[in-house]
Amino acid sequence: MVTTKKGSSKGIGVEFNSNYTTDEALDFTDFQYEYGQGERGVRPTTAYPQSGVWSFGEKFQPGMRQVLFDGEDWPYEPVRNRYKQFYSLGTNLTNTVTLSNGNENGSFRLSIANSDNQGILPNNTFNKKTINLGFNQNINKALTVQGNVNYSNEYNKNPPQVNTQDMAIPTVIYTLANSMPFAAMEQNQLMPNGNEFVMARFLVRNNPYFSLNQRFENIKRDRVVGNVSFRYQINSWLYAQGRVSQDYYSRYQDYNIPNGYAPIPAAPTGFINGSYTQDVRNFRERNYDFLIGATKKIRDFGVDMTLGGNQMYRKTEYNSVTVQDFVQPGLFTIMNGRAKDPLYAKAERGVNSLYGAADFSYKSFLFLNVTARNDWFSTLAADARSILYPSVTGSFIFSEKIKLPSWINYGKIRAAYAEVGDDNVAPYSNALYFGVNNNLFPNPSGASVPVGGINTTLVPNPALRPLRVAESEVGIELKMFKSRVGLDISYFYKVTNDQILAAQISDASGFTNKLINIGESMNKGLEMQLTLSPIRAKNFKWDINLNTSYNTSEVLKLGSAASDTVISVGGGGGRTIKQVVGLPIGALYTFLYKRDAFGNKVFDKASGRPLRNDVPAYVGNILPKYFGGITNTFTLYGVEVSTLIDFRLGAKMIAGSNMNALRHGLHKMTLDGRAEGYVIGKGVNQDGGVNTTKSDIQPFYETPNVLGVNEDFVFNAGFWKLRQVSIGYDFTKHISKAKFIKGIKANLVANNVLILKKWTENMDPENVANISDNETGLDFWTPLPPTRSVGFNLNIKF
Amino acid sequence: MKRIKLLLSVLILSGFMLQGCEKGFDDLNTNRVDPVSLDPQFVMNKGIMDATYRDNFATLQTLCYDFGIVQQVITPFGSSLSGGNYNIFNPGNTTQVWTTYYQSVIKQLAYVIDKTKADATKTNLYNEARIWKAYAFMILTDTYGDVPYTEAGKGFLEGISKPKYDKQELIYKDILKELDEASAALDAAKNTSSSDILYGGNIPKWKKLGNSLLLRAAMRLSKVDPATAATYVKKAVAGGLMQSNADNSILRHTSLYQNWIAVHLTAREKANFYLAKPFVDYLKNNNDPRLGSIAYRHVGAKSGADQAAPRTTTDPAVQLGMPMGFDDVSIKNTFATYGVASLYDYSQVNLNTILKTDAPEYHVTYAQTQLLLAEAIFRGWTTGDAGAAYKAGITAHMQQMAEYDSKAAIAADKILTYVTANALVAGKELEQINSQYWVASFINGFETLANFRRSGFPALTKNPYPGSEIKGNFINRLPYPDSETITNQENLNAAIANQGANDINTRFWWNKP
Repeated sequence: MVTTKKGSSKGIGVEFNSNYTTDEALDFTDFQYEYGQGERGVRPTTAYPQSGVWSFGEKFQPGMRQVLFDGEDWPYEPVRNRYKQFYSLGTNLTNTVTLSNGNENGSFRLSIANSDNQGILPNNTFNKKTINLGFNQNINKALTVQGNVNYSNEYNKNPPQVNTQDMAIPTVIYTLANSMPFAAMEQNQLMPNGNEFVMARFLVRNNPYFSLNQRFENIKRDRVVGNVSFRYQINSWLYAQGRVSQDYYSRYQDYNIPNGYAPIPAAPTGFINGSYTQDVRNFRERNYDFLIGATKKIRDFGVDMTLGGNQMYRKTEYNSVTVQDFVQPGLFTIMNGRAKDPLYAKAERGVNSLYGAADFSYKSFLFLNVTARNDWFSTLAADARSILYPSVTGSFIFSEKIKLPSWINYGKIRAAYAEVGDDNVAPYSNALYFGVNNNLFPNPSGASVPVGGINTTLVPNPALRPLRVAESEVGIELKMFKSRVGLDISYFYKVTNDQILAAQISDASGFTNKLINIGESMNKGLEMQLTLSPIRAKNFKWDINLNTSYNTSEVLKLGSAASDTVISVGGGGGRTIKQVVGLPIGALYTFLYKRDAFGNKVFDKASGRPLRNDVPAYVGNILPKYFGGITNTFTLYGVEVSTLIDFRLGAKMIAGSNMNALRHGLHKMTLDGRAEGYVIGKGVNQDGGVNTTKSDIQPFYETPNVLGVNEDFVFNAGFWKLRQVSIGYDFTKHISKAKFIKGIKANLVANNVLILKKWTENMDPENVANISDNETGLDFWTPLPPTRSVGFNLNIKF
Repeated sequence: MKRIKLLLSVLILSGFMLQGCEKGFDDLNTNRVDPVSLDPQFVMNKGIMDATYRDNFATLQTLCYDFGIVQQVITPFGSSLSGGNYNIFNPGNTTQVWTTYYQSVIKQLAYVIDKTKADATKTNLYNEARIWKAYAFMILTDTYGDVPYTEAGKGFLEGISKPKYDKQELIYKDILKELDEASAALDAAKNTSSSDILYGGNIPKWKKLGNSLLLRAAMRLSKVDPATAATYVKKAVAGGLMQSNADNSILRHTSLYQNWIAVHLTAREKANFYLAKPFVDYLKNNNDPRLGSIAYRHVGAKSGADQAAPRTTTDPAVQLGMPMGFDDVSIKNTFATYGVASLYDYSQVNLNTILKTDAPEYHVTYAQTQLLLAEAIFRGWTTGDAGAAYKAGITAHMQQMAEYDSKAAIAADKILTYVTANALVAGKELEQINSQYWVASFINGFETLANFRRSGFPALTKNPYPGSEIKGNFINRLPYPDSETITNQENLNAAIANQGANDINTRFWWNKP
């Protein structure tokens, strides 16, 4: 919901704000640089097979040479600082001008902004322009009109490819052989015939410069968000308000797979290979709402009542065409394509609501708030789509009524109970739909006939109910020592019922997932905020703010039968997240190495490779138990210095990108056995004897990924970070009142300054390319590296 | 008063706006873009197409396991391509048959059968779907052994999320019954549809497919239950088998619906797979003209990029299969022995003929049927001339080559020379017939592998790769997908208890030694 910023009412005001920020890629990799590029212990001495992403070669010795994919002779030596060598410095410049004016009958505020961003990938830029206009006007004594409109125009050019194999530059940079010179790749992007110059026989680990220069992607979006409301003051205690608002955007996207990209097949004779996709999506959300409000104060009692309703309608449309192979070289258009694959999708949903609230107060220390709301969801079953949910909150400022020690200057207790309903499911989840293939298929006599079928792997559910959350909370708020110490503690207990999830089912059923209301889960915890002001001298102030919370959860019930105790909600590659009755929400599972009764790892007698357990094991939970932050603010003669340290603790994750470091020979674990040229896994073989089988290095370290054994990379997902340091000064007091300039403020801010403590190897635990919320705690593909930003902000008021 | 009136009108307006509070919601939540039902013939088409139109990585199982175990096509590369080449378990390449067949083929067929079983106007489609379902389940059970059968594909129709596994014996007996009944029930006098992509609604051809598949299913039991095998062989022969290549069951890939084995080999795995030495040697040693249709070699190639004209030759005399048992580094030790420049110098499947990106794929052929018939005659389960059937089978497969590409066509005189020189020899019938079946089923990895396991022919020697993890000489089955341990554990455990360890050594029912 966009709220209207009302203009000021002190004559025309002009404000100018400028912000310049630089982003530097952070490198948390700690790879081995003792053995260089190559496979199975041999460095590359011929161009083929191209081993550009394997570091299973020979020990670096001074003067050693290698022949790389380009057939040229290169020194065989470590190439360190891969991120620094490849990623460039990102920059962002944002300028905003705001005009505002107003008088007793109304006001307006107009702001115009432009933001130019250069990503750390050299070909990625992002521009955003926004215009925002807000106004309010009294039409007569009783009637007021208010409105706000925000237009933005965005152009994101060449966003990085993550969470996929093809053209995914971050994954290639992460897995690149540790003696591959960037110059070799930069100088050899295309073959004489225009095709990609392949640097690794693992074709989807392709030359990053080829991706930078041959692939393109454009995402452009125009968005208008606006609302108009009328408020009518019927009499001194009664008003009515009506509002219409809309959020609309149109998004254009196009991207290609370049001609000659090695992993794609050659085109039929007469065509050039490659592909091109162009799509447009439209989004519209409209809300109509009304509110009638009454305010009465009778002696010590205050009553505030509102009654309202809202009608929400949302529509998304998606139009896309992908073409494969081209007639005219280098021309990426739909018309130039050979095989065409169009797609259109539309989804609509509505939510209607009626709600009312009553606030009661007695004097200025006793408060009671009661609400009730009824929602109707279009996406749910006809007999279950309506849900009524209440809330009640009471608070008592006891410092007003009870004699307290003099050092306590404020005290309040509160208690609340609230329910919330929601429909967390896509439209049309109630029925099975079919799809007809875009292209007809010839029958034996050559006539084109249709092909089609069930077009989903998700079993629909026509009986879905809304989810319901019931939360109870009690809290106390204290201010002490002349408000130099403030404490706010609350305890909450939350039960969620009927959450809608796509539970994984046996695909022998024909489907992979089934939509279900999953029963019951519980969250409880403590939240605390402590503020301290140890020093409050005239020219020096020190303020501390500590925020922390503790949160635990438990899955209480799943499905309808008592035997339903486990559902799986996401994962792959041996990494799975399940909901399990009796365990916290989000239980992490993976395959472990097979062990004998004494805990010894078991290795295959013939190959020497490690074996795995048949069934994945529970290795921890993905949701953090503790998180919080500590802000220290120092103000010295008007200079404000602030630091924020934050933390997240008590969760586990699988840092699966290490699996890539392992199988590509970069992880330090892979040094074991290199000197000997083989590994003898420490443990036993299937017959119980001590393992004496020598395994080749490379297959040994490829095995955990092949078998989905992520045991080595289950880490504490926690961290302590110096998140922000800022310094600011307000020059306004040095400007005389009569001057043209009314105020100047300057700030210097650094973000993501330092990781004080982490447990994950080779990565920042927060830098995860999750595909969905269900996969929190799972990591595999390397995302774009995290960045440290340093920015300067200047604000001038005229 | 005026203000109160205004308030009332606002209330009325609001009430009007929100009237019913859910009015139109049923309509709003109805998808107007995608249909809620489809002519079952079109869905049947999808069930047929998806049995071979397996996009993306779905063909990797066939490439890495099926082709490698039967020693026809091999890769020296490991990691994600490991499997039959090293005789090890690679769960990344053991799930594709399960996933594709259950999610694409069985799901669609369950719908077709449900929509047609009670419809008197669609009895032919119903029986075609039963035949195709039998075809799909043979591939599933021949890969994994016991699999979900009676409860499979019913996630929507009956809400079964955890289908129980059925014993392979039960599955095969039901497949035999289904094929027998469905083939017999097909009736050319009844409704049929020219929209059928397999035979254009030609019921006599569907009948011949049903009976030929029945022969295949019956012969599968030759080791474990010869009596049942003999019974159903007789029924199949009596029902009428395929009579010529015109009766073959084919998916005719197009430039829009490509042959994904070919796509994979021309794209991502371009320089990674080679014809295996035992296969090339067999063809070469018998002067088999099919070698020139199937193979090419890029003489002297030192890289994938070198694998192009003018090095390319289809001359059978210079074809050289990659020896079994090497990885991408140890393969270097073979270069001197065989006089090759690099691993890229070994022969490959010809991507201009048998694996063009629009090359057809065959489900059941006349050639295979004649060879099975020859064996059935030899075993005395039906009557006829085994030698003639053997000869007809080889001839048909050689003639089939022209359907891939005119460049692969084999002249009639060459065929005659070959079949005359390679007639059935007393005492070696089973070996000869099944070795020919191995050639005649080339590219159809499921069938080549199943028949090799059943017959033990050709007499391949164990892949000598030093890191091999198998107990016997060959991989005997592929393990169930890991997803089953997550979603269907109890039923999976019951299947393992019945069948044996969920590994690549366990033999399933029809393959007991």
